[in-house]
Amino acid sequence: MVGPRYASTVRQIIAWLLVALFVFPIYHWVTVAFKTPKEIFDKPPNVWRFTPTVENFEQVFGISLGFGFGDVREVLPGGGNFYMAPRVWDSIVIAVFSTILAVTVATLASYALSRMRFRGQQHFVNWVLSTRMMPPVAVAIPMFFLFKNVGLLDTYTGLILVHSLMNLPLAVLLMKSFFDDIPKEIDESATIDGASRWLIFRRIILPMAKGGLAATAVLAFIFSWTEFLFVLTLSQGSIQTVPVASSTFVTSIGTAWGNMAALGTASMVPAFLFILLVQKHLVRGLTLGSLKQ
Amino acid sequence: MKDQQRKEYLASITDRYVRRKIGRRSFLKSASQLGLGLGALGMGMTRPFLPTAQAAGNLVPSDEVMAWVRDVSKPFAGTTLRLATESTPPSNAINSQLKPFFEEASGMKVEIEVLPLEQVLQKLTLDIASQLGTFDLYYIDQSWAAAVSRDVFDPREQLAEKPDLAMPDYNIDDFLPALVDGIVKYEGRWVGVPYDIPIFIMMYRRDIWEKFGFDAPTELEQYYQQAKAVTDEMGPDLFGSTGQMRSGHYSLETDWTAWLWGHGGSIFGSDRKFSGNDDAGLAAMEYWTRLWKTMPPGVTGWTWDGQGQSIAQGVAASMLSWGEFFPFFDDPKASKVSGLMEAVRVPAPKSPLRTVNETGFGEIPGIGHQGGSSLAVSRNSKSPDAAWIFMQWATSMDTQVLITTLGGGTGPTRFSVYDDPRVLANNRVGPGTTRHLPIVRATIAEDMGSEPDLPQWAELSSDTIPVRLGKYFAGDYESAKEAMDDIAEAVDRIVG
Amino acid sequence: MAVANLTRRRSALFDHPLPWLLPLIAILALLAIFPLFYSIWLSFYEWSTFNRQLEFVGWRNWATLFDDDRLSASLIVTFSYFAIALSFELVLGMGLALLLDADHRGFGFLRGALTLTLVIPPAVAGMMFLLMEDAEFGVITYVLQTIGLIDRGTPILATPSLALAGVLLVEIWQWTPFMVLIFMAGLRSLPTEPFEAALIDGASWWMTFRRITLPMMGKVIAIAVLIRGIDLFRVFDYVFVMTSGGPGTRTFSLSLYAWQQTFSFVKWGYGATLSLVTLAIVLVIANLFIWLTKVRW
Repeated sequence: MVGPRYASTVRQIIAWLLVALFVFPIYHWVTVAFKTPKEIFDKPPNVWRFTPTVENFEQVFGISLGFGFGDVREVLPGGGNFYMAPRVWDSIVIAVFSTILAVTVATLASYALSRMRFRGQQHFVNWVLSTRMMPPVAVAIPMFFLFKNVGLLDTYTGLILVHSLMNLPLAVLLMKSFFDDIPKEIDESATIDGASRWLIFRRIILPMAKGGLAATAVLAFIFSWTEFLFVLTLSQGSIQTVPVASSTFVTSIGTAWGNMAALGTASMVPAFLFILLVQKHLVRGLTLGSLKQ
Repeated sequence: MKDQQRKEYLASITDRYVRRKIGRRSFLKSASQLGLGLGALGMGMTRPFLPTAQAAGNLVPSDEVMAWVRDVSKPFAGTTLRLATESTPPSNAINSQLKPFFEEASGMKVEIEVLPLEQVLQKLTLDIASQLGTFDLYYIDQSWAAAVSRDVFDPREQLAEKPDLAMPDYNIDDFLPALVDGIVKYEGRWVGVPYDIPIFIMMYRRDIWEKFGFDAPTELEQYYQQAKAVTDEMGPDLFGSTGQMRSGHYSLETDWTAWLWGHGGSIFGSDRKFSGNDDAGLAAMEYWTRLWKTMPPGVTGWTWDGQGQSIAQGVAASMLSWGEFFPFFDDPKASKVSGLMEAVRVPAPKSPLRTVNETGFGEIPGIGHQGGSSLAVSRNSKSPDAAWIFMQWATSMDTQVLITTLGGGTGPTRFSVYDDPRVLANNRVGPGTTRHLPIVRATIAEDMGSEPDLPQWAELSSDTIPVRLGKYFAGDYESAKEAMDDIAEAVDRIVG
Repeated sequence: MAVANLTRRRSALFDHPLPWLLPLIAILALLAIFPLFYSIWLSFYEWSTFNRQLEFVGWRNWATLFDDDRLSASLIVTFSYFAIALSFELVLGMGLALLLDADHRGFGFLRGALTLTLVIPPAVAGMMFLLMEDAEFGVITYVLQTIGLIDRGTPILATPSLALAGVLLVEIWQWTPFMVLIFMAGLRSLPTEPFEAALIDGASWWMTFRRITLPMMGKVIAIAVLIRGIDLFRVFDYVFVMTSGGPGTRTFSLSLYAWQQTFSFVKWGYGATLSLVTLAIVLVIANLFIWLTKVRW
């Protein structure tokens, strides 16, 4: 769809402008992280010129920058509640493993849903979708009592399970649609060549669906990364993710805006790295997806 | 340059501690020798209330107290204690600055989960419902006291039954009687001890008031006239008053009660029916509506956070609100009005305050609205004795002095703390100031107002009333009378 | 040939869908069905603050639904929120996806930058916009004032006519990139032949989009609408943080109501009942949508 040259230039300008509009609030939030409390509330709002300070980061992550990420829970005896490095670590562990679990389970299931028909399939998929419809409030409390009885409260395992559960409907549906895009003839020709179902899935279809897999993983990761209520209810102090930790900055004597923004800014980095890593495959999906003959 | 050296030294000992080359004890010792307290480690709280150099030297727990902790905790070494609390000055001071001293002396581990108020309530309820005993100590907002009274130990009984665990100079009679009545007493039992006392006081800009030739406001109508004069003259750059008036938020209800009580009204009458729609209640609404016009227009979107910022950033010149904010206003790093604020007692009511007998559900009218909380040991706790040791330490006179001087903003709940030399030494302009505390103390004794105690109060105070007040300020009602009648109808239906 | 037969027989197990679906069914059965039944059970009980236990209340919670002004008010808010947000996100998302689906220099970066909005927890995003929409200190308010759209000091989130728009602003800002991400993945997996054929036939851009892109993207669009639609019905972080449902009840959503009953007032029974109502409504709408659009899974 490459038109005349000027159309392409216009398109590029519009694209950059629109994305800039979307990125501006994030830029603004990052500046808050680097401002002193006074400057955050300058009148009129001061977005471009301010004296950057790393004080907020030092307060949120303890001591000075670049310090003590090893034995983090012990660095400051007792670990002040504003000492957030372990919170970012908890977030990473839960998001990564719940993404792996959700994507694996969903990929297996959606391959079958895409390649085999069975009675009641439409209802089955609708049911899978419906498990996302329950408001989280109503899931959190039963889960608390269930987890209490099986000893999963306040554990990584418990939270990973719940987050994958939350992501499964989306992952199943998305993966299925990507598998559906791959022509069935490929399976059939491979079958004639004598390959087993598993082999076809593993060696042929899965690599072709890489782009879809990447997109699904990004979304599952993001939903787990930003989830609040389950972590709040099902953890009891030893595990806490960034969204719950962020709420600590809302105090009875006002909100610690700079600290909240510093944690937000810092925690954007690992998540964004993950997305970039995965997005490379998103582009590759293009070439693979169109390799159809 | 000297500061730089201190920081470097601190970094090096911390590094050695991390690498386990030195023990926790010598680490702490070196850190405190630096005269920095732990605040300097950068675990500063909401706003870094770093103690000033002058006060810092003696801002470590007293040897006697720590010796007692060390002695009494021997059987409990290795115990982990858990507490879920709102993010308040005392909790933050304990969690990020004082806790290490306790842990070091007792050999126990203390995990403090800091959350917004509603989530603390939810954690507490789940803990009670499941009998899980996850939390050894409960942070109890005054409005929950009735509900959890049977799930916690009465500290007086603990003192009597466990003489060997009692802290020598704990002196439970040192707690301010008004707070004991208003926060912890329920049906003759004590639901913990008073832990924190945020309370409404009057704060205003001395420079502005002087410029206009005003005296400190001592009477409600006079306060309105002053606020109006400031707004008329200096608005919209500076407004005479400000508020916490976000629709549907608890803060709107607290503002309302101050004006209501100040006009001789009350939330409930002695017949336990809503009485905010009587003559006194309507007079209060009339006054409030006028005063609202002197506030920044953004006030209907603010909770206490926006209200505090409006003073700190020099948008508004006075407020009748939480005294906890005062040290924040004096902190030159966070505020543009450092040293310019003055605290005085709340203005006198327009009509005589109602007495407790004239109200319902134990409501105590008074313009100084209190939002105190208590700390108690849970009956579900698996190590109640260890928790009791921590609780005595956390609410002891010595610790409270440290909280007050380090944490800034908290209202001490003990008599003796107000007169402690370390607290008095901070009576100067700057972060962690205590120059407003005499006013806080007088307000607790003379002007304190307490909300009623009834199980439906959480719903009434954070939904039923503030949602309808929000509608009133959004112009959804024809008149204040109509709004108050609507509230009356809704409240009486819920109370039943 | 004989070898091939052998391989196929040995792996007959994988010819049946069940082994593929088993992990999914196991997790969902364990973790999704239990809360549902628990909630149904809970809706006949209520937490009693004073007795510190759940007490049986029969049909009371269900009966209350029919005499609840707040419920009807929140339904209206939720439906408007849902409809406005979904249309904006759908159209904007598709537009942006088409715009960015090109290999100009820097477009990979733009696609990545766009997903940044999704990394922020919704409650924090709410706080970001609360600050930016503040009447005195907010940058958005300042810009709107400077260009004369609103009066000085107008509190966007506390003005009856603007509050919902103020909240929708974050909503659309944060979730349009979600649509872009899904659409982009869909666009990128489309075969190229039909487009080449259309190009040769000299079809206009609009024609190609309507006749080829849209139909081929059908399922992906349906999934995006379903997932986002479901989540929109459960939205509460933004309103909770930014407006507390106000002014009055103008931004008071159904999920905020269920949350408030459950968490703030510890009315677990009524909270569960409200959640079940939400579930029922979403179930009906989603199935209606699937039926109308004839999506076949």
